[in-house]
Amino acid sequence: MGQRGYMARKIFHAAITVLFVLTFNFFLFRVMPGDPVSLLARSERLTPADVAEQRKLYGLDEPLPQQYLTYLRATLTGQLGVSLRSGEPVSSMIGRALPPTVLLVGLGTLFAAVFGVLIGIRGAWHRGSRFDNSTLLGSLLLYSVPEGWLGMLLLIVFAGWLGWFPAGGYTSGTTTGFARVIDIANHLVLPLLTLTLGYIGEYVIIMRSSLLEVMHEEFLQTARAKGVPERLVRRDHAVRNALLPTFSLLCLSFGYVLGGAIVIEAVFSWPGLGRLTYDAINQLDYPVLEGVFLIASIAVIMANLVADLSYGYLDPRIRAA
Amino acid sequence: MRRRIGIGAGLAVVMLLGLVPGARAQSSPTSAGSSASQGSKTVLRVGETADMDTDNPFAVSGGSDWTSVTIQYDMLLKFSDADLSPGPSLATGCDHSQDYMTWTCTLRPGLRWSDGTPLTSEDVAFTYRFVMKHRFPQYISYFPFKPVFTTPNDTTLVWTAEKPTFAPDMPPWVYIVPEHVWSKYEDADLKTIKTAPNTPSVASGPFTLTSWTRGQGWTMDRNPYYWGPQPTFDEIQFQVYTDQSAMIQALKGGQIDFADGLKPSLIDSVKGDPNITTQQVVSDWWLNFAFNFGGQGPQAHPLPALQDLTVRKAIEMAIDKEAIVEKVYNGTAAPGDTVVRPASAYWHLDIPADQEFPFDPAKARSMLDAAGYVDTDNDGIREDPKTGDPLVMNVPASQDTTGAVEAGQLIVGFLKAIGIQVKLQAASDAKMNDFWASGNFDAYIWYWSGDPDPNYQLSIFTSGQCGGWSDGCWKDPHYDALYQKQRGIMDRQKRLVVVQEAQRYLYEHIPDIVLAYPGWLQAYRNDRFTGWVPAPGAHGYLLPGYNYDSLTSLRLVAGASGSVSSPGLPAWLWIALIVGVLAVSVLVFRRRRGVDEEA
Repeated sequence: MGQRGYMARKIFHAAITVLFVLTFNFFLFRVMPGDPVSLLARSERLTPADVAEQRKLYGLDEPLPQQYLTYLRATLTGQLGVSLRSGEPVSSMIGRALPPTVLLVGLGTLFAAVFGVLIGIRGAWHRGSRFDNSTLLGSLLLYSVPEGWLGMLLLIVFAGWLGWFPAGGYTSGTTTGFARVIDIANHLVLPLLTLTLGYIGEYVIIMRSSLLEVMHEEFLQTARAKGVPERLVRRDHAVRNALLPTFSLLCLSFGYVLGGAIVIEAVFSWPGLGRLTYDAINQLDYPVLEGVFLIASIAVIMANLVADLSYGYLDPRIRAA
Repeated sequence: MRRRIGIGAGLAVVMLLGLVPGARAQSSPTSAGSSASQGSKTVLRVGETADMDTDNPFAVSGGSDWTSVTIQYDMLLKFSDADLSPGPSLATGCDHSQDYMTWTCTLRPGLRWSDGTPLTSEDVAFTYRFVMKHRFPQYISYFPFKPVFTTPNDTTLVWTAEKPTFAPDMPPWVYIVPEHVWSKYEDADLKTIKTAPNTPSVASGPFTLTSWTRGQGWTMDRNPYYWGPQPTFDEIQFQVYTDQSAMIQALKGGQIDFADGLKPSLIDSVKGDPNITTQQVVSDWWLNFAFNFGGQGPQAHPLPALQDLTVRKAIEMAIDKEAIVEKVYNGTAAPGDTVVRPASAYWHLDIPADQEFPFDPAKARSMLDAAGYVDTDNDGIREDPKTGDPLVMNVPASQDTTGAVEAGQLIVGFLKAIGIQVKLQAASDAKMNDFWASGNFDAYIWYWSGDPDPNYQLSIFTSGQCGGWSDGCWKDPHYDALYQKQRGIMDRQKRLVVVQEAQRYLYEHIPDIVLAYPGWLQAYRNDRFTGWVPAPGAHGYLLPGYNYDSLTSLRLVAGASGSVSSPGLPAWLWIALIVGVLAVSVLVFRRRRGVDEEA
């Protein structure tokens, strides 16, 4: 088959998956009862006749297959539509929500991965030590705690009680330039801490267990016999071979970055993709939901593809198969 | 080598330790001047639970939209503080002709828009014609009998209707917009008008909308051309908090001055704080248990027993409204009786306790027994003697209406105790709309909010509203006559008599049960601003609400600082931290490389 054939096959599979996701997304939201117009009927004093008229205006009264074709055609030509609630183009809503999410979830995933891996390595290497036991317990604890609760706790202590950091939001007021960077940094601290603590456990545990598996392999004995210092045995021989499962977790996690962290963004009023999704679900704003889910799905599929393709590069055993 | 590490690490630790007390000092709300301060402006910071959906006065739907629009724009006459009756605003008053068909309103002289352009009667006439032409559902009901507007001069508006009317005296809840900004949408379609951007806005009120960052918040700045008393502060910053608990923390920590809209359960967390005052706002909506009488369409098959007033009376007497107030609303509501909400203080009829249906399940049971509704098959559910079917009700409850589903759960128990089975179904407002339109329910739990003027609320119970706004197509010619009568009485005091008669009639004939009047909750820091003006009445809204009088009367508490810094570490601390972390990691990295080289 060869390298080219392998890549082509993987890319083709990814494309099929995207098409399936497009279709699934469309019908998933239409299955929910009601529609965005009838949601607002009572507060906007609409009579059933008004509701029917507005449904027609938004094309919500067309038969479902026809709505689907319209949607497919528009999406494949890059038009994500406009919000049914505000009339704003979905692409600009997503564009606005993207930087906060990438900042929060990207940095959080990065910190969780880096610190988690380092802690996991040390824990496995000194298995049974006080460090190992305490970090393992800590990781399990943090991982099982609901992130919303953890976020709320940090908010109450550091924002409400101590007043060190803002209780939510992205910036305060209209600051520009360097002051704005600092302002965003201050708002980022608590949600970032929550996210990092929430995800770090995963990395610690996975890194630790895969390293433990490798630690008793014979090739490590060989390396020691050659005179390689212990630290380098750990870094160049053991960890390198144990890294693969952590690497796949990392790839998928970065794929999920574009899905946003809905719960944390809701607790901290963080205006990212997660909160956009949360609001759009409450408002039954189909085009926004479709747009966000499309972006998130494509991100995960791409991340998966990248992982798949790089396995071959990382692990010669897979390449040879 | 070791010494270098020791010094490097020690330096880092000292830097970090030295900065922590600095960080705490910076976060005190009354300290002035830090890298994140607002400069020399005095700012009122308000926390809201939802972002605006739109900045466009013709597309208002959510609560935050109304708040924002009410602050920026004036109406011809305002809702006055005491009881929401008409008060002077752009117009100092409106006089009617003998036959009530012609009203002449006099505007104040020298009015201006926030861009300096003169505000004249033509702007008012333009706004009203614009509404009538495009028939915006929120506003169109204020212009009955095809009124025509003329402007003999800049400060006079003449409203001429085909029939006698009190419409200008309601007052019309329509915000006056500048003709020179909106005339270009004269012939546009509804969608274009409703999506027209309106930030920064041109308006006549004390503040205009100057910026809006969607999803985060919006800012309003003082309007130097405002016709009334100039506010003592410069800016209002509205910040959106998705989570109410977070908003409470922000209030407690002094990060906001005012929290708009709290869940009843959160009141306890601010009760003990001496710096925070709460305001339980008199209700402008009511929780509604509406019966279905059928006739909406092929899917409408409501329980025939509900047509019997005795059954509806028994149901009302079996429901413990006090329990709903305590358990569902934590005491922040009042038990309901009549359909005109308490915030319409002038019109609302409060039926004296001794004339209300008592909470008496035993009496309800005996009433049903006497009327022939007995449990013939001993399954705990009574049967209808005429049809033989058990009394089982399908009751959808709106999960988007605060307390509706919880009240429904209590009602299931209350009605079980008198032998009626309730099948409760929680539904989103979108699904509720489907039930309403199709008539496919026996009763439902939803809400009504109505207007300051009772006309709209009373109209929904008329026979003609079946298929329109009527809940369950209740039809009663005597009520229809009462409604038409109050609509034709021009004199307020005389009209009040009939309006109250109509409310009593509805109470006694039970097309709906008014379960409760839930209040809105607002809270503010009393160590920051003072001079809040509640409307309507002492238990009114401190922030719109119905008018912006608080904003023109607020002033800083003596000793409070106008400008506040937002909490967080100041810039120099961030730089120091990052430098410190980099320094430590460089040192560690070089040590490791040194070790490798040695090996």
